[in-house]
Amino acid sequence: MTVPPPPPPAPTPAPAAPVPLPAAARLAPPFLAVVGYTLRACLPARRWWGVLLPCLGAVLFGWLATLPDVSTARAFAAVAEQGLFGLVLPLTCLVIGDAVLGADLRRGTFPFTWLSPVPFPAIVVGRWLGGWLVALATLTPALVLATVVAGVPEGAGPMALAAATGSAAYIGLFVMLGVLARRAAVWSLAVVFLGERLLGGVLSAIAQISPMWEAQQVYARFADDAGGARLLRDGTPDGWSAVVRLALILAVTLALASWRVGHLRPSGGDE
Amino acid sequence: MNAVPAGAPLPPPPPPAAAPAAADPAFVADATVVVQRVSVWFGPKVALSELSCSFGPGVTGLLGPNGAGKTTLMRALTGLLPVNEGQVRVLGRDPRRDRAVQRSLALVPEDEAVPAALTARQLARYRASLHRVADRTLPDRCLATVGLLEVADRRLGGFSKGMRQRAKIAAALVSEPQVLVLDEPLNGADPVQRVALIGLFHALGDQGRTVIVSSHVLHEVERLASRQVVVIRGRLAAAGDHHAIRDSFADRPRSVSVRSPQARELAARLVAHDAVRGVTVDGSTVVISSPRAGELAELLPAVARDVGARLYEVRPLDDSLESVFRELLR
Repeated sequence: MTVPPPPPPAPTPAPAAPVPLPAAARLAPPFLAVVGYTLRACLPARRWWGVLLPCLGAVLFGWLATLPDVSTARAFAAVAEQGLFGLVLPLTCLVIGDAVLGADLRRGTFPFTWLSPVPFPAIVVGRWLGGWLVALATLTPALVLATVVAGVPEGAGPMALAAATGSAAYIGLFVMLGVLARRAAVWSLAVVFLGERLLGGVLSAIAQISPMWEAQQVYARFADDAGGARLLRDGTPDGWSAVVRLALILAVTLALASWRVGHLRPSGGDE
Repeated sequence: MNAVPAGAPLPPPPPPAAAPAAADPAFVADATVVVQRVSVWFGPKVALSELSCSFGPGVTGLLGPNGAGKTTLMRALTGLLPVNEGQVRVLGRDPRRDRAVQRSLALVPEDEAVPAALTARQLARYRASLHRVADRTLPDRCLATVGLLEVADRRLGGFSKGMRQRAKIAAALVSEPQVLVLDEPLNGADPVQRVALIGLFHALGDQGRTVIVSSHVLHEVERLASRQVVVIRGRLAAAGDHHAIRDSFADRPRSVSVRSPQARELAARLVAHDAVRGVTVDGSTVVISSPRAGELAELLPAVARDVGARLYEVRPLDDSLESVFRELLR
């Protein structure tokens, strides 16, 4: 099928003197366009504050670890468990993960992407990747800095790996919740605080599929000499096994999100 | 869902479903969009009920009062909304299941939602990228077409409603769609822009594209499209040229306004005829209500001759789309 040429400029309300067209840059391939859209359109200024404030909080948590009258490694282990993995990681990822798809859907701007020949998995992965890049640029350095500020520099590498893999899985989870649930933020908070923290704290079966616990186990194994061993938990994969588990969580959540996007009724914004 | 190999030509569509007889004004012979017995409901609310019609190249107006089901139909046409019963085919394909057809389809939604952080140029380029448009200048040309090139680097969040509509139209045009669906595209546009946009839609229709434009502003649709599809309460109320639609109400009275200095004499003679249901006189104007317009057309000159009346103006009062619409809503 040949597409007819574009509409002629004749019926346009163009000014008398024709406006010269600026030299146009090359158009990005569809997948990169989706990633670029995510970075440009999905994270308005308010969202950036929602990302940067927890990151600042992470550094403060690191400083708090220097205050108690116990060993730095021990204090930081407690701060990492309760503050960094239990609060900063999920909250920052929630802000990012909800922004990249769920918020776009609620705003009514998702049809600009949905109405295209780009396959749904490419859209979902592109959105996730855009969000993950934001997490890599903000959350991961913040958590690493927290480790350094706490005086546990040997834990910086494991923390970077834990933050990167944990945020990957978490953003996948929140992308999925964004397209599955109408009130995605409420559901996401319920999953984190009721599901992961409350149930995951006592049930290993929940912890095994929890980005929070698995990210913590990545740090715990690789930073065991830096006090991370205190965070190791029986019955929950750690080290590289936890990384694989996080990758599996990511794959499943993105697959479910892709399936769901194909069954959506994107509307003109309802919230 | 089918993945579309980027840049690949659209494979030939499956043979189209048998369309109803071409004589039915709801259907066109060279249909690119076919709607067959489509029903859509949201819980207990029925938005579309067994609606069947088709759209072909050229501009077609989709008419109906607010809440009639126009937007639902347009969303179903583009695949944004699944239908509960019946089927929609665009270029022989299901727009909901077949992603390939999205290459030839574009929607300009009515709502004001736009990615506020993007500029008009970024939105147009984004859609061009998604559609793997080869010509990198096309986004700017489309922005120029809708008169937004000079403000192309301004964020959409700061645009007026009319400018947002035009930005969405530009973004829709970048994929050079064969089928363009526009939901109330003239909302918020000033009179100059309206004229320009109507000209643009005509130009697109003249190129052989299927342009479906919804509106509840009747006089606009009258200027926009020669063929109208009228949806009322989720059902197809009428289709075809609005004069033809009006003519199909042969059994309903039509009103004709006649201006003459001998208005009273004319009225007195006319009221005695079977073809006249009633007359009202207001100064030099007689308004004649007739159930048989054809007969009245022959009767009026004859009576005028008999009474020696001079006719300054004979004007049908209910030939406009608005009156057709009013008639359909009864």
